[in-house]
Formats: sequence, structure tokens, C-alpha cells
Amino acid sequence: MSKKIIFDYWNHLYSSRTEYMFSSEIRDLLSLSARPDIISFSGGLPEVKALNFQRLERYVKRIIKTDSDISLQYSGSDGYYPLKTKLIEVMKLEGIDEVEEDIAITTGGQQALDLLSKVFIDPGDVVITEAPSYTGALNSFKSYEAQIEGIEVDSSGMNVSILEEKLNELSKKGIQVKFIYLVPNFSNPSGVTLSLKRRKKILELAKKYKTVILEDNPYGMLRFEGKSIPTIKELDIKGDNHNVIYLSTLSKLLAPGFRIGWVVAPRPILEKIILGVQSTILCVSTFSQKIAYEYFSDPVWQENIDKFKSIYSARRDAMLSTLESNFPKGSMWSRPEGGFFVWLKLPRYLNTKELLADAVRNKVAFVPGSGFYADSRGLNEARLAYCTEETGRIEKGIKILAGLVKEKIKLYKSFK
Amino acid sequence: MKKNIAVLMGGRSLEREFSIKSGQRISNALRKLGHNVIKMDVNESIVDNLNSEKIDLVYIALHGKDGEDGTIQEILEVLGIPYTGPGVYPNVLSFDKIISKQIFISKEIPTPPFYFLNTSSFRELGSSKLLPFIIEKIGLPMVVKPSAQGSALGIRIVNDKESLPEAIIYALSYSKKVILEKFIDGVELAVSIIGKDKPRTLPIVEIVPKKKFFDFESRSGVGETDYFVPARLSPAEDKKVKQTAIAVNNALRCNRLSRVDMMLDKKGKVPYVLELNTSPGMTDTSLLPLSAEEAGMSFEQLVDEIIGMSLEK
Repeated sequence: MSKKIIFDYWNHLYSSRTEYMFSSEIRDLLSLSARPDIISFSGGLPEVKALNFQRLERYVKRIIKTDSDISLQYSGSDGYYPLKTKLIEVMKLEGIDEVEEDIAITTGGQQALDLLSKVFIDPGDVVITEAPSYTGALNSFKSYEAQIEGIEVDSSGMNVSILEEKLNELSKKGIQVKFIYLVPNFSNPSGVTLSLKRRKKILELAKKYKTVILEDNPYGMLRFEGKSIPTIKELDIKGDNHNVIYLSTLSKLLAPGFRIGWVVAPRPILEKIILGVQSTILCVSTFSQKIAYEYFSDPVWQENIDKFKSIYSARRDAMLSTLESNFPKGSMWSRPEGGFFVWLKLPRYLNTKELLADAVRNKVAFVPGSGFYADSRGLNEARLAYCTEETGRIEKGIKILAGLVKEKIKLYKSFK
Repeated sequence: MKKNIAVLMGGRSLEREFSIKSGQRISNALRKLGHNVIKMDVNESIVDNLNSEKIDLVYIALHGKDGEDGTIQEILEVLGIPYTGPGVYPNVLSFDKIISKQIFISKEIPTPPFYFLNTSSFRELGSSKLLPFIIEKIGLPMVVKPSAQGSALGIRIVNDKESLPEAIIYALSYSKKVILEKFIDGVELAVSIIGKDKPRTLPIVEIVPKKKFFDFESRSGVGETDYFVPARLSPAEDKKVKQTAIAVNNALRCNRLSRVDMMLDKKGKVPYVLELNTSPGMTDTSLLPLSAEEAGMSFEQLVDEIIGMSLEK
């Protein structure tokens, strides 16, 4: 007697949102990029090797010796207060003047995104993002069943005319946008920075349409060229300080292994986030927070940032100059002034998912663009992370990619 | 008796992730069977790694390039280490779908009509001009696939002539040669074969993708495809399909283990052979363990039989 195979006995118990959790061809191809022989432009992995490990060791020893009763204990759900005082100092360097009570510490920026999604999104609610946008954010919003409206990005960031049209159109239909999610500085994945004029305009629109901006700023302090632009939070503080929720992380300033992020938000929103932390993880690792506190108490941390910047800057230069001298006409890419990523656009007829299969066979990996869009866009686009590989390997990898793109163009043209 | 068994997994193929899943599950089973397991990734150190351990048997849990094209088998032949699955020759023949299809034709085993073209013939010989002729001869829909790739990577079904170039470029991202094959409308079947001297078929698995075609996502995602075991076939059809699978196994001189994929067409009930796999998946959702379970074998028993016959002189 033939029977239908049930692979997962618990299938009938799962919630509908688990439908958004699935494997993809891209993920499987990218699993190869962990191999040392593959030149990887795929992951946005900070250069943790540049940290002073001896100093880190000293901090940890000191904590264990003098403070282990506190550092190994639970701590408040809003975060370890002394670390908040340090985060205030960090934010001041970016022009944000807030007080400890306005901050909640989270397990990485990703948990902040998850909690904010939980706080704001009911199934079917509309949220606005850049297009392309950070995959981790898109996945978080999708897992709460948001309807994502992606607004096109150009070399000055999110296109505000399209945003205004979209907000107007939704408002006419009586639809309240729950939030606008932005990575304004050296965006992941586009590498693009939102201009000051557009920051002001988006803030104005958020106020007009009674919505909030989630300003995610993991890379702001990693500017290695050009003049800093005020954060949207800073602009909002100068006004009624109502419409911006500011997110950041220590993943790029210190190391992702500590899993520390934070949120600055108007008090009522912050209360909900803190309750969210309480119900999901009770508190962020006290031990990690203590180490981070020690790190930011030592003035050397700013020298480390300079070290990071000089490393990433050299790698960006290697990537941009190799793209320039090797990529065929019809290809375009962003020119980031900081952060980790270059966004590549190939002629419309080329598919970067297909290019990835070829690239991985030739020992180069990158992330195809489609994963950074909530809709079907981005097929001919790709994210190239320059933060991970050394300059020689960056040059070699980009040359290999350029060769493959040229071959593909030739192949495509043979059908014309 | 306790043996030292090296499980080769991962490797350089595009199916690395899939291979690691198979390899982990096999390693667990081998441990339960009381063997000493040495997990090995396949990279530039593989020969040194194989030489530095006392190994009684290598379990090849690799999929795709290196693991199913005869490369790793030849290395093990040189080193004189016994290994699971078929030998060098059947791997070389089955990995190139063009060669294996030619052998099927020569042995009068039904396989969908096809043409193949390579990258340089498009770029340098103007082969794109052949496409209208190929469409005329084979008809639409057509299956476009790379000549050497597993796990449904690079495969598309083309319904109209406009989509053909795109599908060809896609397939050529995975292999230097592309196969343009007649689409057989029917039931997709997988027949697993096990046994050294007297190969036997296990119950046939019927694959029913919820989407029209069994692509990579259907293959790897639970819930994307329905499977029926044994396949819903009449006794006569079941017999014909199994006989064909054994004929394929013999034609490619396969021994010990294989899985033959076929389409049983709706009209004539002809079992068209698509390909033979020499290292069938062994993950929780793979077809060989499913068939074995239907035949009353646990996963450990299946692994035990595979290593048992590979250790025989």
C-alpha cells in the first residue's frame, strides 16, 4: 500500500510564520565561501584580528578577579547602566546627545530589529525600507508578516520623491505606515550615504504622516572619506525628538562576538522594548556588557577605530580601482565613503545568482542582489563586501569576477 | 568488528552543504554501529589526511564534483583504500549526462531525445542559430540542464522559445555543456539499487512537486514536494521500471549502490531514464533512505549493508 511520506511529524503544529523560514539555493552556494581557498566578498565580517587581544585579555582578567559576582549574574533588562554611560559618550561623537534612561541594550542590533518588529507589526502592516535593504531587517519584518514597500535608492540614498508619493498613496487608502527603516550611513548593502537634504525631508515626511524612522547606524563611525553628516536622530533632537528610533551595535566598533546592540527611543516605545527583552532573554549577557564597558573605558578604543578605518579604507580602494580597470562597460557600482560594502549593478540581462554559481566554481563568492529586495528586483545586482579579504586577494577576486562577467556578456550577445 | 572509517564530506562542489548533511547523518549511524569515525573535508590536504590515518574504509558522502565524477575514487584506488559506492568507471560515465545518455541509447534503454551544445560553440560558432531547429525536432516544453551537475542545480523547463536563451545561460553557469532535452510529461520516479554481485531494487519513490517542476528549492525544502513510497504504479509498471533501472545500473557497470531517476510517461507508459546517481543523498529528506525504510531497513542497517559490501574483497 503506497503512502505519502511525512518528513516532519510536527508539521501540523507549526505557526504560519514558519513558512518564511526556508533554505535557498544562494545560501547553499554561499556555504562554500567559508572555505579558505575561496575569496569571499560575501560576509560583512569585521576585521577582529586588528583588535589588541592583550588588552582584551587584561579586561577579562580584571573582571573575573574583581567583579565576577556581578559580571556572572543576571542584570537589568534595560542593560548594564555603566555601559550605557559609555554608549552615551560614543553617540556624542556622532552628535547625538541623549541620557542613559533613553537607552535599552539588546543582544546585537538584530535583536533590536526583532523587538521593534514585535512592537510595531501586525500581520499585513506596511513598513517602508530602502530597496535594496539589509536582509536581516527584511527577514525580521517578514517573520512578523509585514508588507514591505521598498523605495529605490540612488547615489544619495533613498529617493524621497518616490517615498513621498508612496506615503501619499498609502495615506489616501487609509493605510498607516508603521515605520521607515533606513541605514543612512554607508548602507548595507548599497554602501550609499543618505544626503543631509534627504535626511531632513524624510524626517519631515515621517512627522507629516505620523510615523517613525528606524535609523540603523552600525557603520557611522567607520567613515574614512568625506564630511560627516548629522544623523536623523540628531536632527530630530533639535526638534521635538519624537520620530526617530536610533539603533546601533558594537559589532563593528568592537566585535560581533560580544553581541551587543542598543536602541534609543521615545520612552513609551523603549518601555515596550525593555519588556520585550525581559520576556525573550531576561537580560543581555552581563559578562559581555562588562567587557564592553572596560573596552570603552580605555581611551585606546578610539585608536582601534582609526586602525579599523585605515584597514577598510585600503581594502575599499583596492576593490574600487580593480573594478574600474577590469569591469566591462555597462556595469556600475557605488563608491562608499565608509563601511563595508560596494553595490554592483550589471547589465539588466545578466543574473547574479547564475554568476555566483560560476564564481564559486572559480573560487570567488559574493551575495546576489535579489536577497536584499522584498520583491523580485535586484536580479542583476550584487553586494561585494571588501571588509574581509586582504587587498591582494580583493584584486585577484575582482579580476576573476570581471572575466566571468565578460564571458557572460559575450555568451548573451551570441543569442542576439 | 570495529573499523576505522573515514567519512568524506563537504568538498569543493556546489553541493557542499547537502554533502555535509549526508555526511553527518552517516557518521552518527557509523558510531551507533560501533565504528571509529574520522570525518574529513575534501581539500588540498586530502591525500595527506588519508595517508596519516589508519583507515579500513572510506565512506564517500560527497555529492557532485570530485565525489561523483571518479576523482576521489581514483585517488582511493591509487592509495589502495576500499571505499563505498561504485568504482571509477561508472562515476566517470554517469557524471557526464551526455555520455551516459549515449550509452542508454546504445543499449536501447529509453531516454528523452536531446541535443547538447557547449559554451564555446555559442560564443564562437554561432550555435544560437541552431535553436529553432532544435525546437522543431524536440518540441516544447523542453528541459534545459547542465551536462554535469546534481541536485537539480541549473535546471529549467522552457515553455516558449523566448525563454530558451536565458535557460541556456543559466545552465551554462553550472557546466561547460548544456543539454536540451524533450520534456516528458508523466510521473517522476527514483529507483534505488543496492548489492554487489546481485543488485536489487528497493521500493520505488514517486516524486510529486507542488510546483510543476522539481527544482533545487523543492528538493531541499521540506513541504515543497510530496513523496509516495512505494510509487503508485500497477504491478506491471512497477516491474518494468525496476527492470529498466537494473538495466541502467548494468549498462554503466555500476556496483554496490546507485539511484536511477526516471520519468514514466503518461501515454505510452515508457520509463524514460534521466540519469544515474552514484552517491545518492543520505539526508533526512533523501530518497534512498526512504526507499530502504519502506523495505524494512533502518538507516543504520542501510549504512551497515553499504559498508559491509564495500569491505568485502
